[in-house]
Formats: sequence, C-alpha cells, structure tokens
Amino acid sequence: MKTASAGTVESMDCLVTVSEGAPGSGLSIQLSGAATARFAPTMRKAVQEVATAMGASDLSISIQDNGALDLILKARTEAALARYRGGDTA
Amino acid sequence: MRLRRTMLYLPGNNPNMLLRGHLFNPDGLVLDLEDAVAMREKDAARILVRDVLRQGNFGTCEVTVRINGMDTSYWKEDLEAVVPAGIHGIRVPKVEDPKDMVLLDETLSEIETRAGIPLGKTLVFCLLETAKGIWRAYEIATASKRVTAIIPGGEDLTADLRTNRSAEGTELEGVRKMLVLAARAAGVDALDTVFPRITDDEGLRKEVGFIKQLGFDGKSVIHPNQIPIIHDVFTPTEKEIEKAKRIVAAAKEAAERGLGAVSVDGRMVDRPVVKRAEFTLIRAGLSEEVLS
Repeated sequence: MKTASAGTVESMDCLVTVSEGAPGSGLSIQLSGAATARFAPTMRKAVQEVATAMGASDLSISIQDNGALDLILKARTEAALARYRGGDTA
Repeated sequence: MRLRRTMLYLPGNNPNMLLRGHLFNPDGLVLDLEDAVAMREKDAARILVRDVLRQGNFGTCEVTVRINGMDTSYWKEDLEAVVPAGIHGIRVPKVEDPKDMVLLDETLSEIETRAGIPLGKTLVFCLLETAKGIWRAYEIATASKRVTAIIPGGEDLTADLRTNRSAEGTELEGVRKMLVLAARAAGVDALDTVFPRITDDEGLRKEVGFIKQLGFDGKSVIHPNQIPIIHDVFTPTEKEIEKAKRIVAAAKEAAERGLGAVSVDGRMVDRPVVKRAEFTLIRAGLSEEVLS
C-alpha cells in the first residue's frame, strides 16, 4: 500500500502519515497523542483544510501528535500529502 | 542602524526551536534550511519554515533564512517559499562569485514584484566559506545593494585553507581581519562565524572580545546559552556610555549653535569620534539619544 509521512514525534511536532483509502471513502483521519482528546475537533479541521486546498481525498491520514500547534500540524500535513502525491515515501 | 550582536541559528525542521528561538532574545534569527536539515527533509523543512514565518511571532528579532547554496537545485524553491512569507533577509552559503549576487538580486526582485513586496526590501547576508570567497569579499559585498553583511565560514573555510580549527583561532585571524576591512570598505556589517564549543563559556568570551576588537559587529550563534555572554561583551561599560553621552551631547550643542568643531572635556573631538560615540549608545540600547 502506498504511504508517505512527514514530521517527527518530538516535542511540539507531529508525525503525519498518509495512506491510500478506498475509492469514494473521502478522508479518514485518525488522531493519537496526549492532547488529542481535547483538541480533536480543531485538529481534524486543520487537516481537512489542507487536504481540501490540495484537492486530496480517498485517503487515510494518521496523526501522532506531541503537542504540535495547528500551524505545525498543517505544515506537516501539506508535506506528507505532497510526498504522497510525488511518490516520495520518505 | 540595527544591532546584530547575535544571530541565532534555528534548525529548519524543528518546530520547537523555530517557534521558541526568539524567546532567548538574540538580535536576529537564522532559520536554517541548509546544513541543519537532512537532504530527505528539505521539502518538509521548507514548508515548515514558510508557515512559521507567516505566523510572524518573532519579537523584535531581525528574521533571516539560510537558504541552500546557489550550487544546489534547492535555492530558488527556498526563496519562492520564504520571501513572500515575510523576512528581513536571506543568508546565502558558500558565496564566492560576485556574479551570483547579481543573479540572486534579480531573482529576489522577481519574487518581490510578484508578492507585492517593496523592491529591494529583502537584504542579503553572505557567508564566505572558501578562500576565493574571502579573497573577493569586497567585490561580493558591493555586487548588490541588498548585501548588508558578510560572514566568514568556520569549518568549511579552515578545510579550504588546509588547516583545522584550534582553540586559539590562529588559522582564522588573517581571514577575520580581511573580512572586517572588506566590510568597512563596502559599508556593510562584519558578522563572525559560530563558536562551536557550546560549553566553553570562557573560550567564547575571549573570542568575542577578540573579534569585537577587530571591528566585528556581532557573531553567529548555535546555542541560546551563548547569547548573554556575547551581548555582555558587546555592551559598553558605564564609563564608555557616560563618555559617549558627553560626546554626543556636545556634538548636538555644537550643531545647534552652528559650530563645526566639538569640544568635550576640554579636548577637540572630530566627526569619526562622534560617530563612534553614537554607535556606543546604540549598542547600549540608547539609540534615542543619538544625533542622526
């Protein structure tokens, strides 16, 4: 299965991993990390915004968060999606 | 005139440092896309640095980005990402040809025009990391009006000189003197290379005293703990401040009375001394007392 990721699990960062979803499945977002229970809605919104702006769908996006601000989450999501699209599976 | 006593490098792929670097109160920041970022992370770091810049919370720091060298395939993409995001300047590694400064100037102008940024706003800080770069320092510093500072390399330069870095810094002495001379002739700042031994506070203090005496305006910094030591060395003493205040006050009075000559403590003082006194007050954080 094609996957791509970006980021780290270091403090104030997050690791975003993108993998192929079923056709027509839209976006499936999984969150893990200490703060995700509290911030899940805003984190999902941030990821969705980036995916929509990049025209990405039918993907599974998994976030391992270690206290990343929204702007970091967005930057890591963009990098992971760009890598997924570019075939870079780093 | 902007103080550049300390310019702190922040690894471009590290959110923690990128977001918190300014809290250590350096005069400037260098968000690093070059050596601090692994090859396979160049893409992610570029996006991260761009977004951290857009957020724009850096206190009073002068914000610069070290792009990848102009001999790589990354530098234009780096510029496209970070210049529109809002920066004061670009730090360019391994500059050794004045023609590169002309090309960089043109590329920056194109990006500024497209982004609606005033033409010429983005300054350039040149890292001279080879013997050829040091040799051509004056030509490089005058190749574009954007060039605002030149900085000698450390490790790369000593390797190019076929020597290595010593605690005394003997191998860089001639280079540093040449660099200050070129900077002053070109009217740009001379900023020193990093001090690599991050736990050697005494060694750092000694080196900063030395480079200050040579005429450097500041130093690149790789660890926040180095900042207060460097600021301390560059901050004038009470005695120096008092003398500078008297000189500047006398110059003001002479100007108001239409007199050309300035007398302080019974001695005539010429214009370069007044300029130096003004600079002392700027370094002391008293720029409001400066004449011009």
